[in-house]
Amino acid sequence: MGWRWLHQWGSPRWFYERAGRWQLVCGWLALALLITGSLWGLALAPVDYQQGNSYRIIYLHVPVAFLAQALYGAMAVCAVILFVWKMKLADVAMQSIAVMGFAFTALSLISGAVWGKPTWGTYWVWDARLTSMLILAFLYLGVIGLRAAIQDPDQAGKACGILVLVGVVNLPIIKYSVEWWNTLHQPASLKLTEKPAMPASMWIPLLINILGYYVAAAYLILGSMRAIVLERERRSAWVRELVSRA
Amino acid sequence: MLEFQFASLAAFCEMAPHGVYVWPIYGLGLLVLGGLALANVRQHRRAVRTIQRNLERE
Repeated sequence: MGWRWLHQWGSPRWFYERAGRWQLVCGWLALALLITGSLWGLALAPVDYQQGNSYRIIYLHVPVAFLAQALYGAMAVCAVILFVWKMKLADVAMQSIAVMGFAFTALSLISGAVWGKPTWGTYWVWDARLTSMLILAFLYLGVIGLRAAIQDPDQAGKACGILVLVGVVNLPIIKYSVEWWNTLHQPASLKLTEKPAMPASMWIPLLINILGYYVAAAYLILGSMRAIVLERERRSAWVRELVSRA
Repeated sequence: MLEFQFASLAAFCEMAPHGVYVWPIYGLGLLVLGGLALANVRQHRRAVRTIQRNLERE
């Protein structure tokens, strides 16, 4: 086996063609997982003996909050790839992920606030977990704004990459915020190392939805990346040929 | 394990006493996912159209 599998990522055309197929698979898979997990969580999972039905927000809140952080990590990996290997596609990925990451961070903040009202009696407290997630939202906004402010795509990519890498320091702060500081926010609901504290009928749909949102994010990022690749490669022969055939 | 947790469909929709918190969040989630998917399709279509127009001009 050679290095072809790695080198082909350097070809926007190769990516554009493959990503269309991957997107189709991800789209249908996400739809199936999200419908199953959400209906299961909303209708079939037992009521929480302390929180009542309000806890059902968990089936959206936890997956999108996971994603908000994971996507930032993915964006940082792309920044490293961009700086080390100068791969154009990594910059395209960074641009797409920033938008999706912001959307999922906003969704996690809003769903958390609405869940907080019946559970804590307030929409918002300035505690460590909530504040560090708000900073994550601003970091995403900063990356989006920075790119919009710089005309030259290469310069914009480099500037965004630096900002993304600096912001990585926020990720461990989010993760350990519930342990380092006193907080209203409960500790992690699911851990890789321990058996969950909730019954299987509660965590199985949560796991399905976590998978579902990850696959949905993949679908959205691939779609956005394809559009950006087309825009950036508009002068290349393969794009012209592709478009004139369409 | 897979038992409907509500007395009726009406009770499910009401999700007492927290329906007002739970349903809007799921509605918003649907809106965000659907909106992003739609935005991608439109961006792609716009890119294709722009390139086509440029080709015609040449």
